[in-house]
Amino acid sequence: MLEIKNLKVSVEGKQILKGLNLTVNKGEVHAIMGPNGAGKSTLASVIAGREEYEVEDGSILFNGKDMLELSPDERAKEGLFLAFQYPIEIPGVTTINFLKTAVNEIRAYKGQEPMEAKEFLARLKEKQKVVQMDTNLTGRSVNEGFSGGEKKRNEIFQMAMLEPQLAVLDETDSGLDIDALRIVAQGVNSLRSKKNAFLVITHYQRLLEYIIPDFVHVLFDGRIVKSGTKELALELESKGYDWIKKEFSEIPA
Amino acid sequence: MSVATVKKDTATKWLEEFENTAANRLGASNGEIKVKQEKAIKDFSEIGIPDKKLEDFKYTNVRLYLNDEFSVKRIATRLKSSDVRHLFIGGHVSIVMVNGRFVKELSSLKNLPKEVTVKNLFTALKETTQIEATQFNGQLEDKNNPLVMLNTALAYDGIFISVPENFECKGPIHIVNISAGNTKALYNPRNMIKVGQGASLTLIESYQSVELSEKVFTNSVTEVIVEKNATLNNYILQDEDALATQNNVHQVTVSTAGKFNNVTVSVNGGMVRNDLNVAINGENCEIHMHGLFIAKDGQHIDNHTLVEHNVANCYSNELYKGVIFDGGTGVFNGKIYVKQDAQKTNAYQSNKNILLGDKATINTKPQLEIYADDVKCSHGTTTGMLDKEALFYLQTRGLNETLAQKVLLHAFTQEISDNIIDDAFRKYIEQKIESHIA
Repeated sequence: MLEIKNLKVSVEGKQILKGLNLTVNKGEVHAIMGPNGAGKSTLASVIAGREEYEVEDGSILFNGKDMLELSPDERAKEGLFLAFQYPIEIPGVTTINFLKTAVNEIRAYKGQEPMEAKEFLARLKEKQKVVQMDTNLTGRSVNEGFSGGEKKRNEIFQMAMLEPQLAVLDETDSGLDIDALRIVAQGVNSLRSKKNAFLVITHYQRLLEYIIPDFVHVLFDGRIVKSGTKELALELESKGYDWIKKEFSEIPA
Repeated sequence: MSVATVKKDTATKWLEEFENTAANRLGASNGEIKVKQEKAIKDFSEIGIPDKKLEDFKYTNVRLYLNDEFSVKRIATRLKSSDVRHLFIGGHVSIVMVNGRFVKELSSLKNLPKEVTVKNLFTALKETTQIEATQFNGQLEDKNNPLVMLNTALAYDGIFISVPENFECKGPIHIVNISAGNTKALYNPRNMIKVGQGASLTLIESYQSVELSEKVFTNSVTEVIVEKNATLNNYILQDEDALATQNNVHQVTVSTAGKFNNVTVSVNGGMVRNDLNVAINGENCEIHMHGLFIAKDGQHIDNHTLVEHNVANCYSNELYKGVIFDGGTGVFNGKIYVKQDAQKTNAYQSNKNILLGDKATINTKPQLEIYADDVKCSHGTTTGMLDKEALFYLQTRGLNETLAQKVLLHAFTQEISDNIIDDAFRKYIEQKIESHIA
């Protein structure tokens, strides 16, 4: 589904990703872990199409399509979703209204008719339950005055509404207490299927106790330096990132 | 009459017109008005058409829009009922004004409550039973605005609306202002609106063009009197052709416990200059002023507001928002004046602008002049581009850049249109806004 090859990305002249390779197939959950500054959020941003990032080399294919040729909205329409690390507030735009627009834009891209109001409301109701999202919140301006946990839940709620093929969760666990973390994880788990995939970016192993990954990758200094199964996450948790730093700092760029 | 000294070249033409039109002007209705017109042309002749040297016109050089080629001849309208019907909204009482002149045949007055007076200002001033001549230009003389002087001097007519004491006018009254014709012309409509003690009125004013094929300059002055305990909701839409330039002055006087709620939305027109002056002359008044201006390439929209807190214990709140596209220019100049005796005043003012391009310009100048010491006053202004993070966020949800921009602009503008209580007009205005931010 997602094939990243030799991806080199720089921001303001500084190279952050230095030849990253990653393949994600349908039905899989991949976790990307790594110390601060390793390039985790850069990876999420560049997949989503944030324009400040300059791709120097490499490719990102999504279902065989060259993602780098697509605008952020086209990527979304192709089935990509990014859950933001810091979801922003948009005063005056209600979640429900913009989601209706988003759902129908994506449908139009696929040549489908706009969703019936009744069907939309039914889906809204169903997905709100999944993330235990207060009905009041969806009628309010996007994230305005939301708590940290509510913002993250709103991300997962939007993901549930848009039903992407690939969801990238950028440090969705940061700033969450254990209850909120559990709700968010339950939301993700309930959406897991053979048809979709998740890329879970996190600093801590904690989230992976709730969202069990099929693969765990360690991102360090712009490259994936180690890949394994969920046990790798536990190893990182107990040993910290220092041993990774020691082991891989010496590699020439 | 003759004026002794003509000081400004740009006044000469209008002095001649003043002489030529004596028989038709408002002054013919009433001796007192005649005197006021004579004073006005004299005052005007000393200033002429304003340019940037005049502080209040620093960013709007009126000489670029009004010159000697414009005629003040009255031309009979050839518009038919079918030409104007599409401008009527929600079955409201519709008073049609074509080039500043009340055209009864085109109007829809069947739902006008019999208690409410609607007639030509000329007639009202002549009768003197409805309005006293002293009220004419009463609050405007000290404003030293040469365009007001020009209007006062040359005004021949306009609309007069009066709601009697304790009468609640349920449905809105809509003044449908139309600029039309194929003659380069200056129009000086003069209106007076009176909401009697304890009465209430929703007054809609729309400014649009129909079959306009030559430049016009509409120099409109409306005097509004909100008496004790009265309420006036005043909603204004300016959506004229690019050939139409408009200088629109509203002088509002509010008495004790009066309420005045204004929403002014300017989305189109070659040049628009607004002066909304509110004089608060009685305690416990409540004033709300909301403005939205959308300037596109080549357009110039200038909003001047003045709130005079002359007495204690009043509240005023003002929010003006500008959306300036590439090549457009916006001006906001808002002044709050709090007199020494106006203790316990609460006065707030805010101006927020979004610039959509490198060649978009806004000149904003909030002013507070406070002479009382026990007041709560604030003003603030922000100007910026659309929030890039918000745009990106919406794009990652599948909205293309244009649509994402529209969604954000919609949210930005809705804060203004939401203040229009009349559903039919609010929907109408929202559609207008929608089409101009797309």
